[in-house]
Amino acid sequence: MNPQFIMDGLITGAIIGLGAVGVTLTYSILRFSNFAHGELLSWGAYLALAVAGALGYLSAGLTKPIAPFSFGWALPISAVIAIGLTGLLALAVDALLFSSFRRRGSAIIIMVMASFGASLALRSLLEFLFSSRPAYFTKALQIAMKLGGGLRATPDQLLMLGVALVAVIAVHLLMTRTDIGRAMRAVSENPALASIAGIDVRRVIRTVWFLGAALACVAGIMSGLLIQIRPYLGHDLLLPLFAAAILGGIGSVPGAMLAGLIIGLCEALAVQAVGAEWRAAVSFVILIAVLLVRPRGLFGKAS
Amino acid sequence: MTDAILSTHGLVAGYEPDLPIVRGIDFSVSSGELVVLLGPNGAGKSTFVKAIAGLVPIHAGTMALNGRDITHVTPHRKVAEGLAFVPQTENVFATMTTLENLQIAVAHLPKAKRAVAIEALFTRFPDLAARPSRLAGALSGGQRQMLAVARALALDPPVIILDEPSAGLSPKIVSEVFEMLKAINASGVTVLLVEQNVKAALAIASRAVILAEGRIAHEGLPEELASDPLVGKIYLGTAHHHQGALA
Ligand SMILES: Nc1ncnc2c1ncn2[C@@H]1O[C@H](COP(=O)(O)OP(=O)(O)OP(=O)(O)O)[C@@H](O)[C@H]1O
Ligand SMILES: [Mg+2]
Repeated sequence: MNPQFIMDGLITGAIIGLGAVGVTLTYSILRFSNFAHGELLSWGAYLALAVAGALGYLSAGLTKPIAPFSFGWALPISAVIAIGLTGLLALAVDALLFSSFRRRGSAIIIMVMASFGASLALRSLLEFLFSSRPAYFTKALQIAMKLGGGLRATPDQLLMLGVALVAVIAVHLLMTRTDIGRAMRAVSENPALASIAGIDVRRVIRTVWFLGAALACVAGIMSGLLIQIRPYLGHDLLLPLFAAAILGGIGSVPGAMLAGLIIGLCEALAVQAVGAEWRAAVSFVILIAVLLVRPRGLFGKAS
Repeated sequence: MTDAILSTHGLVAGYEPDLPIVRGIDFSVSSGELVVLLGPNGAGKSTFVKAIAGLVPIHAGTMALNGRDITHVTPHRKVAEGLAFVPQTENVFATMTTLENLQIAVAHLPKAKRAVAIEALFTRFPDLAARPSRLAGALSGGQRQMLAVARALALDPPVIILDEPSAGLSPKIVSEVFEMLKAINASGVTVLLVEQNVKAALAIASRAVILAEGRIAHEGLPEELASDPLVGKIYLGTAHHHQGALA
């Protein structure tokens, strides 16, 4: 068996993991499955693409690749801007849609249906604005380096794996060591108690949206840089995202990342062992197995 | 009352829009008092105090803290303005440690003052100081109640409301809780206490209010209520054999 599936699996897994952290946070704190989360990955990638395009137009020097990578300064700069914009997009969707349902105390199923609607609208808007043709951050080709053990990876791939790792560690520290992190965990356990313990629950909800969207944007850019950018980029990852959030244990940030990597590796293994058409079945099988055998996942709290 | 620190006027509140549970309560607590709120199960005691804390929708009426209207102030702002509340159930964050529960409680203080505030709480509650990294869900019932009270006292509130803090505790711990409440009140904090433990509550109260079916049914000095057999029988759910103990 070609060990290269490990590198493919880690990359897909890191993308899934970053997206799943957002899903797990929204699920545990806002208490509904946000089926529009995948769209935040797609929007993140396209927003970065648009900003990078504008930067390249202003100064061609920004597109000159920074060795050894395939992209110029336009990408990291646009990534930072796109993270902010994706966060604002999520806040806008919440303000326009979900917050009014929350105020009315609507049933969870209504929030979930609303998220389906939002997903459809956001995806159609992307296709309208950018067309459904695949797009790329860079046309430069990269030579994969030998890592030993039969593994090869491009500098871009290694960089993005590093970025994903740093992002997850940062979010984990945020959740465990800071006021806002403790407040998020408190709201996740008991919103009413959180409010009388002095926590501004609305501020916590805004933070969760922004944080989840920011990570989704990073995942979208990662997917765009290492694979390609399409309006369906995030939508196609929806099942793996939820499978990873549930396998990791709802509410667990490291759990979501670890589960993302497990799912990515299993997918890559399945592709190599039985064929690419089985990729999509992997998340489904894992999801069902976890729900049957251990519904609270790897790191979830027993309820 | 001129020196009312907490008051409600015609307060109507309930979980559903057309189903009032609290049905028009005019009530006030003066600074320094320890008022005990009694009444049969389902009278609306918890709903009333939760409405004051901002956890139950207000249908009509107003409430004021220190003369300032707080009817529509959000719960977390009420805390910042000095109204502390210890709910009847689920009153600590079970999945977080003792220390984290207290860190949340002092988060409104400037960073420089937080450590001192937590240290002060630990000095006051040595049982908690001994287990800072124990998950609150793994504390004993009494320790959990102490943590809930410590959390509420973290910002030195002028008013604290407690909903049945002695429920489910062993007799020895119950008397500790009442000693603690007396001490809190003696330190200048105004206390509104919901209790089923009538005898012990009346023993430390400066005034008693009886709620029935969402309204105030009786109000008076603890001695009066304790010795009124009719009140005991109708509103406090004290059966015949408890009468002697009450009087
Ligand atoms: N979360 C809720 N949603 C709807 N109705 C509720 C809720 N909590 C309580 N009630 C109803 O409100 C009424 C008053 O309940 P409440 O808990 O305020 O009484 P209580 O006086 O505190 O009783 P107890 O002594 O048993 O604690 C009851 O009829 C109860 O069924
Ligand atoms: Mg009650």
